Amino acid sequence: MTKGARMLHERTRKVLALALAAILAFGLFGTAGCTEDGEGDGGEATEGDVEIIKIGVQTALTGPLPDYGEAAKRGAELALEDFGTFEMDGKTYQVELVVLDDKAEPAESAVVAQTMVDEGVVGVIGSLTTGATLSAIPIYAENRIPQISGSVTGPKANAEGVDTFYRTCWSDAIQGEALAAWALELDAKKVVLMDDNGAYAVGLADVAEAALKAEGVETLRQNCQSGDKDLSAQVANVKEFGPDAIIFTGYHPEAGLMRKQMLEAGLADVIFMGGDGIKSAELIAQTGGVENAEGIYATFGGFPEDQQPGYEAFAAKYEEKYGDAVGPYAQNNYDAFGALIAAIKAAGSTDTEDIIAALRELEYEGVTGTFSFASEADGAVSVGDIVVAGLTPSNVPRYVVEGGEFVAVK
Amino acid sequence: MAAMTERISSVLARVPRGVYMALAVVLAAGFPLLNVIGVVETAWLRVGVMSLLFVMLALGLNIVMGETGLLNLGYIAFFAFGAYTTALLSSPKFELRWPFLAVVVVSTLIAMLAGFVIGLPTLRLRGDYLAIVTLAFGEIVRLTIINLQGFTNGPNGITGIYSPLLAGGSEVKTGLAAWLTVDKPIEYYYLVLVAVVVVSILLANLKNSRVGRAWNALREDELAAISSGITASRAKMLSVVLSAGIAGFAGSLYAYYSNVISPESFLFMQSVIVVCMVVLGGMGSIPGVVVGAIVLQALPQVIRQAAGAARSDFEVYRMLIFGVLIVVMVIFRPEGLLPDKLWRRESHEVDPRELEKTRQSLFDLEEGEKDLEV
Repeated sequence: MTKGARMLHERTRKVLALALAAILAFGLFGTAGCTEDGEGDGGEATEGDVEIIKIGVQTALTGPLPDYGEAAKRGAELALEDFGTFEMDGKTYQVELVVLDDKAEPAESAVVAQTMVDEGVVGVIGSLTTGATLSAIPIYAENRIPQISGSVTGPKANAEGVDTFYRTCWSDAIQGEALAAWALELDAKKVVLMDDNGAYAVGLADVAEAALKAEGVETLRQNCQSGDKDLSAQVANVKEFGPDAIIFTGYHPEAGLMRKQMLEAGLADVIFMGGDGIKSAELIAQTGGVENAEGIYATFGGFPEDQQPGYEAFAAKYEEKYGDAVGPYAQNNYDAFGALIAAIKAAGSTDTEDIIAALRELEYEGVTGTFSFASEADGAVSVGDIVVAGLTPSNVPRYVVEGGEFVAVK
Repeated sequence: MAAMTERISSVLARVPRGVYMALAVVLAAGFPLLNVIGVVETAWLRVGVMSLLFVMLALGLNIVMGETGLLNLGYIAFFAFGAYTTALLSSPKFELRWPFLAVVVVSTLIAMLAGFVIGLPTLRLRGDYLAIVTLAFGEIVRLTIINLQGFTNGPNGITGIYSPLLAGGSEVKTGLAAWLTVDKPIEYYYLVLVAVVVVSILLANLKNSRVGRAWNALREDELAAISSGITASRAKMLSVVLSAGIAGFAGSLYAYYSNVISPESFLFMQSVIVVCMVVLGGMGSIPGVVVGAIVLQALPQVIRQAAGAARSDFEVYRMLIFGVLIVVMVIFRPEGLLPDKLWRRESHEVDPRELEKTRQSLFDLEEGEKDLEV
């Protein structure tokens, strides 16, 4: 290559890069323009005595879980259509959504929470993940803004003394108690609890272990790592302990492996149970064969869709608007928005302190069922947790593997 | 046109560096006042605090990467050491509430100790191997945090970290003690700003000292540096330990500021971003690194706010635009925004004619010498 050619090459490269950047940037502006046209938000006009109030949606549209984030946003958008305009004291209120992305990152989440506060929202739906929610909670609590998450299930999401955090999905604690209750019904006297060191699994196992110990059951705690390929050490410990049941609170890949290795070690009599982390069709294959999976028990952290009173109508609306199957936790976010509006109406005020007080008194009939929120008055450990009407540890949905698939236990 | 820009840059170069530094400090110190008078929203103060914390991190990493030439891909681990030490010494977790200064000092020292321990086996390695080992170190620390639940609460993180009390150890919320409690974004901003200024002055002096020169010599040619009497292991260790300490200091302030820390704040991606800050700002250049960190940390927020003003869904694309900008930047200005003199010369292809001229003059010189010899 001659010198001249190399120089030219260099220049071409730079021009190409610039052109690429320009095309990308313009393309993006174009798309953004389209979505804006499509939404056509005419919220700026304050005709007559229509008052505009803002509700924030803090979710993760970029980062590791964009599908979950998008579903949460859609749930809130659908709720906006249904509950976004309401009458109160002879005045019409119109809700405007403030949707902000926190990338599921704690540091970003703090900035987003502060932006919500600056925007003057009366309440926030979100955030999506536990880590991001944790760092937003102190900011919302300090500025007295109610926050309702539709997807944070970690039992310890709420620090003591915080009364601004609520959730419309089931806390993992509910399943932990349900698993313990089920094991007791099955007459288990010695139980192994095994987690995968993740937040979800540890939370679930902690709750179940405490509930079992309270009933005088002898327990052994074991753990593994997500991605482990050999669990023989744990199997040996289990064999030595000689339990009636094992509660595996992690996810299906390790659960399947544990089951397989336990069967190989001749522990077929030990009842194998788990939470919704193992309730997956893939578990069957991961145990090494249909017959290996037979009789595995699992609970689930929510009513099945056909038992959610408003699900059918919600799914129809969702599919019509987005042309897509209902995304994870969309209906819980829809309910979060609905509950917030219901609390505003019950309070008869848009003052956030009044809304917080109203949320604690609220009983709400949502898509997922009728629920209220735990308050100090009930002696609840975690204020703001969902209290599902008529739900007890023994009627949390139960499933068993029969003929290679999970079927509901009646 | 070219002559014009040349003249401007030569005029700018004649302004003493102190003037620029003073100007930067005044700008940084004046920024929160915009919030006080209501021009800028409070969210910007939080962006400011995070930017300043990342300035500290980038300054720290610059010591090993820019000055000594050791690539560290697990730098965020030292940040985590500082943050977790602070969280344990000042939260309901172990019901401890040590005085602010003691906590910051201990957090810094723990991070330095971690730097020393990891430095012992790894400093024999160079280049890619060092990068791989430091990357692994970062992951080990993160996984340890997740699994050491008795200390760290695992993935649930440590919540309720107390606000720093600048004086006294009580929790009095009235009078002077309340005034000296740092708990609002603006107060954190000034606290971190003071820390950044102190660290920058320290590093600027260090850079021009014997130690700084030794680091640069090691970076350029380790063998030559050793031959000139530099103890390579000691100089490298000093740079690793010092940079770890700065990260620990920043981590301690971060834990106080954010009230909550969880393993998600210490991902490999964060290490990469700090590396980007150093590279984009200009390796080895303190003003460059400061600018790089502020730009990279604040840019996504600026794009977000611009999108917010237009009330569109554009916000979602901010990270993409951010990526495009970085790519463009690397192609057009590989030496960084405000480069160090030495690095600038290394990053650009020398004009062949220029090279020829230099070679010719060297040749002439040699010829001349030969003549002399004869």
